Amino acid sequence: MNFEIGIMTFGEVTADPVTGQVPSPQQRMRETIEQAVVADEVGLDVFGVGEHHRTDFVATASPVVLAAAAEATNDIRLTSSVTVLSSDDPVRVWEQFATVDLISRGRAEMVVGRGSYTESFPLFGYDLRDYADLFREKLSLLLRIREQNPLTWSGRFRAPLVDADIAPRPAGDTLPIWVGAGSPASAISTGKLGLPMAMPLLLGPMNSHVENAELYRSSARAAGHDATALRISINAHGFVGSSSQHARDTMYPYFATGMMENNHQRGQGFPISRAAFEAQASPAAALFVGSPQEVIDKLLGYHELYGVSRALIQLGFGGMPQDEVLAAIERLGTEVAPVVRREVAAREGSTG
Amino acid sequence: MTALAATAPRAVPSTTPLRVVVVNGSPSEQSKTMGLADLILDTLRTTLPIEVTRVDVYRLGSGFTGALERDDVPPGIEDTIQTVENADLLIAAAPVFRASVPGMFKHLFDLVDQYALADKPVLLAATGGGDHHALVLEYVMRPLFGFFQALTLPVAIYASAGDFDGTTVLNPRVHGRVEVALIDIGNILAARVREVADQAEASP
Repeated sequence: MNFEIGIMTFGEVTADPVTGQVPSPQQRMRETIEQAVVADEVGLDVFGVGEHHRTDFVATASPVVLAAAAEATNDIRLTSSVTVLSSDDPVRVWEQFATVDLISRGRAEMVVGRGSYTESFPLFGYDLRDYADLFREKLSLLLRIREQNPLTWSGRFRAPLVDADIAPRPAGDTLPIWVGAGSPASAISTGKLGLPMAMPLLLGPMNSHVENAELYRSSARAAGHDATALRISINAHGFVGSSSQHARDTMYPYFATGMMENNHQRGQGFPISRAAFEAQASPAAALFVGSPQEVIDKLLGYHELYGVSRALIQLGFGGMPQDEVLAAIERLGTEVAPVVRREVAAREGSTG
Repeated sequence: MTALAATAPRAVPSTTPLRVVVVNGSPSEQSKTMGLADLILDTLRTTLPIEVTRVDVYRLGSGFTGALERDDVPPGIEDTIQTVENADLLIAAAPVFRASVPGMFKHLFDLVDQYALADKPVLLAATGGGDHHALVLEYVMRPLFGFFQALTLPVAIYASAGDFDGTTVLNPRVHGRVEVALIDIGNILAARVREVADQAEASP
């Protein structure tokens, strides 16, 4: 299995902590498409766009952004990161991503999740008390739409479908649906369904999902799926600098701002000191931040820990200036990715 | 697959099931706390005949919440408290709220007779938003039942939000811990079932 390396963004519109400037939504949107273009040019495998329903993010409608990125790129795969399926209609989600798939000649994917932000629930008229049931039902419908057409279905949270003809059908055989899963229960449910799993790792030790990954594989095996064929992706923040120091110095103020502005835990930001950030950048911690060699080491570390076959790095979180982001994307594609792919291929070749 | 079934004593054939009372400290209709309690009850049912009564402390009403002492409670609530006092096994299940058990949960035990729970097996169970709350079992709940001289079971059970899908416990570690907790007391409970059965036969 090829090791895929990509980037993802939430398109945050945040005042630059250095200059105080707030980019316009239009500027941030164009920059987001430009990031996809550069990622494609330097041979990265995946470009991901998130979904947050607030004015300090431009990415609320990820399939529209991905459609624009599709038109501006050639080879890179295009995914949501994530689609908040719990507060959306699976039929509409399917139509939109299948459309991106046709536009992009078969490059569309989605990562569906419950969402770590809650704004979309009241916005679309859903009750957070149904959090678990909403996701379960909507995911099961989305999978049914993928596997058969026309479709007859009924459930609790949307009108029933009677012999419904749902279009378009994807360009290729299928449209990959990953599940974003961060808890033991999510890992077990995802494994049972035999779907690929995207593990979000915000802060903390690299190995904090080891138990989840084991639960995922064992529940997949118990449900009769071929666990060796199942894919896991790691999604974490990072920045590839010209040197170790440059990477940390560049990333820290923006990352700290992003955590403060956008991590609204109970209405409060999440303060992260430089010392705490440095700890998160150390070899055993989550962040992909450092020189190209440090990021190579960390990617290989994740591969060794989890057998991941994909890594999505959230680059420039907190509204980093575009020139720094593009330079980091370039380093990731030209200096990091080829080495990691070669090493992983050698590892997997040697273990059969 | 249950280790419990393999190691626990065989169920005593008896027409008198063990009276299990769950004191549920959650305010929610559908709760993770009851999800965990249900897992414990289902595991228990595989080895013993049980009869379950559930006391939802948040549903007992103003007669309960307004009672300053035992004499103040209305007859219906008196019956409820006596049910708790007469249980063969008490399952004390509470969500962590403001770093402790919810006040209503504590209030019920403030009204229970000081010696009514002496030597009574009590299984402690708690749920919380994250693993950081796990010691509520040891630092809040166990001392409370220690005061009552109750027989708190050595293994208490905690589950975090991430162990659940809705109200269903998915994490096998939690299932395993429930089994361990019940294996520890299999003999004690079986003996109590036998005692209950003997008493039932002895009484005319």
